[in-house]
Amino acid sequence: MMNNGAIAQTLSPMDPNSIEGQYAVDKGQPQSASYVPSTTGSEATSWIMHRVDNSSSESTYHHDHQTEPPSRNVPHGLNGTSLASSSTLGTASASQDYGGYASYTNPTDPYGYANTGYPGYYNGYQQQPNHSYSQQQPNHVYSQHQPNHAYSQQQPNHVYSQQQPNHAYSQPLGSYQNTGAPYQPLSSFQNTGSYAGIPSYPATYYNPGDYQTAGAYPSSGYSNHTTTWSDGNYANYTTHQYSSYTADTTGAYNSGTTAATSVHYQQQYKQWADYYNQTEVTCAPGTEHLSVASTSNQVNSVPGVTAGYPNSSSQHPSSFTPSWRPESTSSDLPPLQGAPSTSGAYDSCWKQGVESSQNYHASPMQPHFQTSLDSKTSYDNFQEQQKTVEEGPDSQYAPSHQVPQNYQTPAQTVSTLDTQRVSKLQIPTNPRIATNLASSSSKTNKDGSTTGAAAKPAYIAVSMPKANDKVFSNVAADSILKPGVFPSSLRFYVERALKRCQDHCKNDPQLAACQAVLKEVITKATADGTLHTRNWDTEPLFPLPNPDFANKENSQSSTPVASLPKYRSPSKRSKSRWEPLPEEKLVETPVSVSNNSVKFGGWDRKPLIGNSESKVDALSDLKFSLSEQKTLSKSAQRPLKKQRIADAFNSAENGDASSDSDKEQSLTAYYSGAIALANSPEEKKKRENRSKRFEKVQGHRSEINYFKPKNAAAGNLYTKRASALMLSKNFDDDGSRAVEDIDWDALTVKGTCQEIEKRYLRLTSAPDPSTVRPEEVLEKALLMVQNSQKNYLYKCDQLKSIRQDLTVQRIQNQLTVKVYETHARLAMEVGDLSEYNQCQSQLKILYDEGIEGCYMEFAAYNLLCVILHSNNNRDLVSSMSRLPKEAKKDKAVKHALAVRAAVTSGNYVMFFRLYKTAPNMNTCLMDLYVEKMRYKAVSCISRSYRPTVPVSYIAQVVGFSSTSEGSDQDPVGVEECVEWLKAHGACLTADSNGEMQLDTKASSSSLYIPEPEDAVSHGDASLAVNDFLTRTSL
Amino acid sequence: MAYLSMGEAHRRITDYLNRFSDAVFSQDGASLKQLLSLSANSPSLLSLADALNVFQDANRLIKQSEKYAQYGEIIAPLFRSLQSYRLGNLVDTYSAFEKAANAFIQEFRNWESAWALEALFVVAYEIRVLAERADKELASNGKSPEKLKGAGSFLMKVFGVLAGKGPKRVGALYVTCQLFKIYFKLGTVHLCRSVIRSIETARIFDFEEFPKRDKVTYMYYTGRLEVFNENFPAADHKLSYALMHCNPNSEANIRMILKYLIPVKLSIGILPKDQLLEKYNLVEYKNVVQALKRGDLRLLRHALQEHEDRFLRSGVFLVLEKLELQVYQRLLKKIYIIQKQKDPSKAHQMKLETIIKALKWLEMDMDLDEVECIVAILIYKNLVKGYFAHKSKVVVLSKQDPFPKLNGRPVNS
Repeated sequence: MMNNGAIAQTLSPMDPNSIEGQYAVDKGQPQSASYVPSTTGSEATSWIMHRVDNSSSESTYHHDHQTEPPSRNVPHGLNGTSLASSSTLGTASASQDYGGYASYTNPTDPYGYANTGYPGYYNGYQQQPNHSYSQQQPNHVYSQHQPNHAYSQQQPNHVYSQQQPNHAYSQPLGSYQNTGAPYQPLSSFQNTGSYAGIPSYPATYYNPGDYQTAGAYPSSGYSNHTTTWSDGNYANYTTHQYSSYTADTTGAYNSGTTAATSVHYQQQYKQWADYYNQTEVTCAPGTEHLSVASTSNQVNSVPGVTAGYPNSSSQHPSSFTPSWRPESTSSDLPPLQGAPSTSGAYDSCWKQGVESSQNYHASPMQPHFQTSLDSKTSYDNFQEQQKTVEEGPDSQYAPSHQVPQNYQTPAQTVSTLDTQRVSKLQIPTNPRIATNLASSSSKTNKDGSTTGAAAKPAYIAVSMPKANDKVFSNVAADSILKPGVFPSSLRFYVERALKRCQDHCKNDPQLAACQAVLKEVITKATADGTLHTRNWDTEPLFPLPNPDFANKENSQSSTPVASLPKYRSPSKRSKSRWEPLPEEKLVETPVSVSNNSVKFGGWDRKPLIGNSESKVDALSDLKFSLSEQKTLSKSAQRPLKKQRIADAFNSAENGDASSDSDKEQSLTAYYSGAIALANSPEEKKKRENRSKRFEKVQGHRSEINYFKPKNAAAGNLYTKRASALMLSKNFDDDGSRAVEDIDWDALTVKGTCQEIEKRYLRLTSAPDPSTVRPEEVLEKALLMVQNSQKNYLYKCDQLKSIRQDLTVQRIQNQLTVKVYETHARLAMEVGDLSEYNQCQSQLKILYDEGIEGCYMEFAAYNLLCVILHSNNNRDLVSSMSRLPKEAKKDKAVKHALAVRAAVTSGNYVMFFRLYKTAPNMNTCLMDLYVEKMRYKAVSCISRSYRPTVPVSYIAQVVGFSSTSEGSDQDPVGVEECVEWLKAHGACLTADSNGEMQLDTKASSSSLYIPEPEDAVSHGDASLAVNDFLTRTSL
Repeated sequence: MAYLSMGEAHRRITDYLNRFSDAVFSQDGASLKQLLSLSANSPSLLSLADALNVFQDANRLIKQSEKYAQYGEIIAPLFRSLQSYRLGNLVDTYSAFEKAANAFIQEFRNWESAWALEALFVVAYEIRVLAERADKELASNGKSPEKLKGAGSFLMKVFGVLAGKGPKRVGALYVTCQLFKIYFKLGTVHLCRSVIRSIETARIFDFEEFPKRDKVTYMYYTGRLEVFNENFPAADHKLSYALMHCNPNSEANIRMILKYLIPVKLSIGILPKDQLLEKYNLVEYKNVVQALKRGDLRLLRHALQEHEDRFLRSGVFLVLEKLELQVYQRLLKKIYIIQKQKDPSKAHQMKLETIIKALKWLEMDMDLDEVECIVAILIYKNLVKGYFAHKSKVVVLSKQDPFPKLNGRPVNS
């Protein structure tokens, strides 16, 4: 909603038509075109969009550039622009920019921003082409930061689109105007022709799409910072970033709080200004270094750079790509992480340096690695730095490593994705979508990008595939672990093992050793054919190997950046809802909880271990790519769950944050100045709050994060459907239309599988028709389940798979209803409420569509559910008022209503009578309330009766004995009742006839509700170990 | 549409633009308000809409002069909104109006004083009303109605603008009330909580300083929320406040308040006069009250059944249903009085048989266990003082005040 509103606002000055036009332009057409409107448009708002475009395009640009060496100069130029500004303008520009920012917080003085800093940028750029490249680094950096706050967890592709909401929201506050003005120069700049070479760029850009409007805003600010940052001062950077961010967000969201935040903000700026002053001197060399490092191709332009970069000229363009890759991708940073993200931001940069170096390493570019690394760390002792890397940076960064990993992974994700996705996207769409399609297809085509991707719209990832390919090829050297060849459980096993290593060993040799052992294990398994049959989930981990061994095994492990970050222990298991098939669950859950560490783990390790490690990377890549798409579809499909998930994620994330920030504290020693501020508990708290707030506002972002892991379980297909969902998602953000324009029929799978029995496996990719059963087979399957003698777990599994097949084939008819009804009944029978609720809500939809079924029966169940479980008067009233007249005459519904009356009046006699005469399966639902009702009844009885009440009477009225009206007493029932009463603290006495009596006066004060025996500390008995074991042995 | 010359159209538009900028310039909230109230169907706005439909290039006019252009972000979408409104396209009307409103609050934020509050109120009101109508249109086209939800989030934003310190805070309650209306309509009343918290925890601003009409509306809605929560004392307090401060001439509002206040009062043992029910046409409560007076369980059940739909819709059904226990109490009391007349010494011992017989006369066929259970509940809930002797099946009543009155307290639960 907000999102929409915000967008609307942005565009408000324009004609509706023009808006449309602009969108269109942005989406599909060359950059130059998109800029045209902006130049002409007098509106500040329109400018924003452009500006955004620019920034994002820059990053994109790089990629393009990389893929297409010839055009490189142009992109560099672009980058250079910003760079130039920093270098040429030096202090002045920096401070001006900040001033601009400050004003932006204060809506009153919005325009100050425009005139000062930006023109300078562009002018500077043209004058000093040399530096152009260095700017790139900042660019990326900023992108990382920005995402950090807002979007961090999103995946690369989506990043932009998802960002939009956030920004959109913030915009209304008035930040727009500011941004608008500065951009004008930019646009003009682009028009000048520097962009000319890159028609594809806007499209790419647009996929990110609307996000941009919003996204750009913060990022612009960041780019400035970034520059600084590249100079080597992370500490400042981090803090600054955060604070500024806060200002933005708060301003946007909360007008009320704006005042406070703005103050904060300005202070930050001042700090920065100072910072800039300092940096200026040191900066120059640093930047240049950077430029050298990153620009390998451009070397020519940087003749006089520094001596420190001997190798720069020798570097290949291709090698260059990877380093950029990660950075650009880094923009995906999880938005929600408060504390971690801060450090993460620069860490990631750093990380990337490492990463890229790693890549280089793999593809004989070692020199390059050094340069990049140096540029990020201290420039002075760059040679030494390399040696010290292990101790210095690593240890410092360790805490935040998870974050950086995040960044990196996305990049690779994309690439893997591409490789897997055969570049066909056949989505019948209307033109509007088609533009978008182009952009997404660019992704698809990334495979080809190695060769000719330049012509295509480059998405962030374009250049990446190369790097990845390299990795892959390296990996593939021992093709053992190629994704797809291995069961996913094995993958997790490997990760588990490696993670453990990380937890326990701090030196890479040991890790490498683990790797070696792992490799051996796998090879062995392959050799004796147990690879696929073995249950990797339960496979015990081998004892930690001796590091020496590893060294022998892996000479590669000597890679410069050695030390390993500490990871959170992966062994945490998420609290999950009752799932009938723990085995599968097992596969999924570990990933979900620890998945951050897992995936990143892969990346982190990579630098250390060269080849063997990259296997893992490949795997994690795979996961990411899949999860990415999945996420999208998830978010599209399940808006309702967002909140819950977001919360869940939130808590997890918070845990993270705190632990991370602890580690952060150790960093303080290193970065005394600004970072101290960043780490002060106050600040931390703020950050946490902030991230929480974001989660709430932006449910789907966090949802995505949450889902990523789950999806990681990985199938390898990337298919039309997923991409369609992605498209639709984009459009959702865009204008909240066009989703319905997608031709879903064309995307629907038609199953061909003829097997009646099929295990349920949560889809992690688009369904494969060969594993989906068509309707007639499903009918048989349903019959089979209904007649099956096996236990509920089996049936539940089967029914879930039937439901899945129905869903993916979009079959909604009486069969569907029957399946859900069957499942709901079975679930009720065993008290599996979560599964029952799923069925019930589906049934509600199906009935509403007019499909026949046992409507009355389920209306009654629904009513009972509301009465007995939600205990919410409003819900109850509303579901009662929704009942149609004829339903009230139905036996089951009548019964349910009577139960309701009994419950609300506390009439236990009535309740237990109804309990005994319940039609259908109403009893099963009432079962769940019996304990409560009994307790109420007994406390009522002990309060109102004097002096005693025979237990036999109680047994009869509260439903223990089967006989009624006290004729012949049922001794068994009385016995049970005595047990129950004793368990609840009642005082029993025997009268002269030996009959048990309840001493009411004594009992009235001694009754209590005992803790359920099967209670578990985490609150979900179905996750108890015993329970778990019984299910695994199913 | 009558023929409208280009010149005339031009004149009308510039006239409007002049009025708009003059109103802002002179900080004249009252006249600005008129320029924004779309759904008031004022003739000047309607004729402006006609003019806009003739003279398509109004944006050029806006941009022509700096005087207008600075409000272009408000006026341009507002013009579009007007146009669509005139053409009966309410969804577009709403969308455009929301854009204008967004720009408006942007401006409003910059205005130091609260002179434009009136105009802001109009905007808030229009947003809600237009959203409701747009949703109706969407629903009739088979699309999902979502505009009202959007209006809700927009008004939340407006609330944010007002809720801080300063002179604008006076307006916060109005927006809150509009939000309540939206949330109640959407059935998402849980969203009210955050707004209520912000209103009720603000120390710097006394609730009494808000305008009266807003206070009444606010109390009405929060009272209703308390009815849902079955927090009767609080509901009684809030609704009574609303009733007391409500304009005595607006009978419809009084009726709305009474619709909730009466069940609340009934459940704390206070019965209204028939006269009141008749005056405000609340006859559906008549039999309920009667049943309470007479201890006539049958009458109560009939009354509930008869108006079940109505009671369910307003959400008081469950409240009324709980009156049953009071009816039982009344019935027992009657029996007690009769027994006392016959034999004062044994009056405090009431046989279960007697109660069953009484119920039978009311055509309530209940067996021993059931009645025993009800008596137990009555004692448990402190509606009857005494105890029940299971062996002899006798209710032994306390000699002192065996049937305590509720006296404004709710039944123990």
